[in-house]
Amino acid sequence: MRLEIGNFYVREIVFGDTLKFEQGILTINKEAALDFIREDERITEAELYIAKPGDDIRMCPVKEAVEPRVRPDGRSAFPGYVGELEQAGEGMTYALKGCSVLVVGRHWGGFQDGIVDMSGEGQKYTLFGELQNVVLVADTNEEFEKREQQKKNDALRRAGHRLAEFIAGCVKDLEPEEVENFDLEPIIKRAAEIEKLPSVVYVMQPQTQMEEMGYNTLAYGWDMNHMVPTYMHPNEVLDGAIISGSFMPVSSKWSTYDYQNCPNLKALYQEHGKSINFLGVIMSNLNVALEQKERAAIYVAQLAKSLGADGAIVAEEGYGNPDADFIGCYVALEDAGVKTVGVTNECTGRDGQSQPLVTLDEKCDAIVSCGNVSELIELPPMKVVLGELEALGRDGFSGGWADDEILGPSVRPDGSIIMENNSMFCGDRVCGWSTKTMKEF
Amino acid sequence: MKKAILYINQFFGQIGGEDKADFEPEIREGQVGPGIEFAKSLNAELTHTIICGDNFMGSNTEEAVKIILEMLEGKEMDLFIAGPAFQAGRYGVACGTICKAVKEKFGVPVVTSMNVENPGVEMFKKDMYILQGGNIASRMRKDVKAMVSLCNKILNEEEIGWAEKEGYFGRGVRKQIWLEEGTPASVRMVDMLLKKLNGESFETELPIPKLDRVPIADAIKDLKSARIALVTTGGIVPVDNPDRIQSASATRWGRYDIGVIEALKSGEYKTIHAGFDPAAADADPNVITPVDALQVLQKEGVYGSLHPFFYSTVGTGTTQAEAERMAREIVPYLKEDKVDGVIMVST
Repeated sequence: MRLEIGNFYVREIVFGDTLKFEQGILTINKEAALDFIREDERITEAELYIAKPGDDIRMCPVKEAVEPRVRPDGRSAFPGYVGELEQAGEGMTYALKGCSVLVVGRHWGGFQDGIVDMSGEGQKYTLFGELQNVVLVADTNEEFEKREQQKKNDALRRAGHRLAEFIAGCVKDLEPEEVENFDLEPIIKRAAEIEKLPSVVYVMQPQTQMEEMGYNTLAYGWDMNHMVPTYMHPNEVLDGAIISGSFMPVSSKWSTYDYQNCPNLKALYQEHGKSINFLGVIMSNLNVALEQKERAAIYVAQLAKSLGADGAIVAEEGYGNPDADFIGCYVALEDAGVKTVGVTNECTGRDGQSQPLVTLDEKCDAIVSCGNVSELIELPPMKVVLGELEALGRDGFSGGWADDEILGPSVRPDGSIIMENNSMFCGDRVCGWSTKTMKEF
Repeated sequence: MKKAILYINQFFGQIGGEDKADFEPEIREGQVGPGIEFAKSLNAELTHTIICGDNFMGSNTEEAVKIILEMLEGKEMDLFIAGPAFQAGRYGVACGTICKAVKEKFGVPVVTSMNVENPGVEMFKKDMYILQGGNIASRMRKDVKAMVSLCNKILNEEEIGWAEKEGYFGRGVRKQIWLEEGTPASVRMVDMLLKKLNGESFETELPIPKLDRVPIADAIKDLKSARIALVTTGGIVPVDNPDRIQSASATRWGRYDIGVIEALKSGEYKTIHAGFDPAAADADPNVITPVDALQVLQKEGVYGSLHPFFYSTVGTGTTQAEAERMAREIVPYLKEDKVDGVIMVST
């Protein structure tokens, strides 16, 4: 399967009369874009902003991030989700690089939503602090979940993906600055010199622990709670087949942007034919009941063995209960003779003294650790807030609180905040961006 | 200039060797022994040196700590240093004990140094900075240098890095840091995987604590003739707690005669365990140390005989290493009395 991603590097985003891309400048006609968003009648209020690195901007509650993409052949960039169901991972996709569409709630947030700062001390905590962002701030008529801690954020997340495709439409007929090739031959038809290399699978455990539909990660629009682990081509993951869900404490989240650009996948691709024979992705999930966790681990280990994997990477989107899926899968792979490396974040508590994962096993001897979800972060006020900062303390954020007898409220009257890393939007970057690690003090 | 005070034992205080190990605490103005080496580069004036015999501290801990804390009362102090203690066990434990007490009483930072083999490391590493020191006194200059380096960072209010970087024993606190070289997780992951695949050594970023599983003993063949003993981590002690077992993070245990007792009476026994509501155990200590039931069962001939002592400590916050040591100290009593089985009552 061969995927080509044609890149257009966005150096600046501005509002103007027509949607266009010229010499690195992305111009957006705000009204036209907003009209497009309002086609979904659930959207009751919408506004667009631009947020770039260095801006005195804080965003809250941030719900989703998407890289603007379009397919020149007319197929949907997010097949089975906001467009017709088609094969992803093959042919040409155009991408606006260095930028993202961020979706922010105008008022209401929840457990799965987070913070992005564009400058100052808070900037480094998220990838999106470093990108040019088109920020959609909107509200919906989804009254049923307005006051719920867990939100599907369906209208807003779809709006973000639609907007990303709408904006990228302006490069549909242009020549990309560069074309990246992702070409991975069928597993059993590879050159002898590649087959000599140790073969490796990438095991992904996206968040799928909600029994009710509408919250979980999707594969071609299918709720991944309703699947057992299966083989996927890495190109499908990089090409919009996987849509991020709306459930996890948000520092653990893999946004759709993270799937589209997954650094772990790209790193394995880069080693393919040099130091490893990259077999592809075993797409697993995260489960609630122990039997479901064990079943998934059995499937993963079997697939890895049947594919002939010598090595595996396991990455989990989440912490706490999903640690059991992570460790279980890791151990199953080791027991099957597959040399495994895990990628995860930790929850060692505000004082750093808690057990890092809820379950541990001595067989898990190679783990890349990307941060502590419960690290306390204190940040000064920012001039501009997009969304509603009060949501951090009011709406049951995983890293925010209304009041605390020692720390006081998360959101202070002057706009400064104190929170757990838990609410940094996609902050732990287990998908591979993370330059954080954990050390014993 | 900031001020610091040093604690050393009778040997390094130039009082004498083992024969002077009962030396009672003394405070002197200025620097003695290693103090001179510290003073060379410490960013604080080393105003006083406390000297105490290792045995005096070991056998009269409470008294020794009390005397020293009184000596320190009213003294200006920005930092308290003890040792370095190398591999000397009693000295290491003394350094840890006094550092912990000084930190709790005066709220000043404390620094000591020990060799990895020193039992004081396991006992106190979670409570303070213990630098990883040499095993013998000839390493004095090197250990003092490492201590001064950390002390100066504390005195200058600089950020203290992680354990491995600064050379102290990890305190069981895991925190996130940004890697200076900015290597992303994806690159670290590939690097670790290649090393693992190629059989090269690699370093995990999340070391899994070694699980020390004890195999379950074989069943007792003939319970009717078996001798049974009672051990608890529930903190049941005679009401005056004669062995001064701590209510949490215990390092002490007790052995109490139940040879002629039908049951543990409320008012005579109680729990000193700080990890649960003591009301029920104080009202009837047998709910944790079931002497009453065992006496009845013995009379009924269910088992052979009861070892005439029960053993008690407190489990809450107690380190595995301490628990293991206490068990090793208790086991000889059980073996000597030919005990076949132990009922281990936790809470």
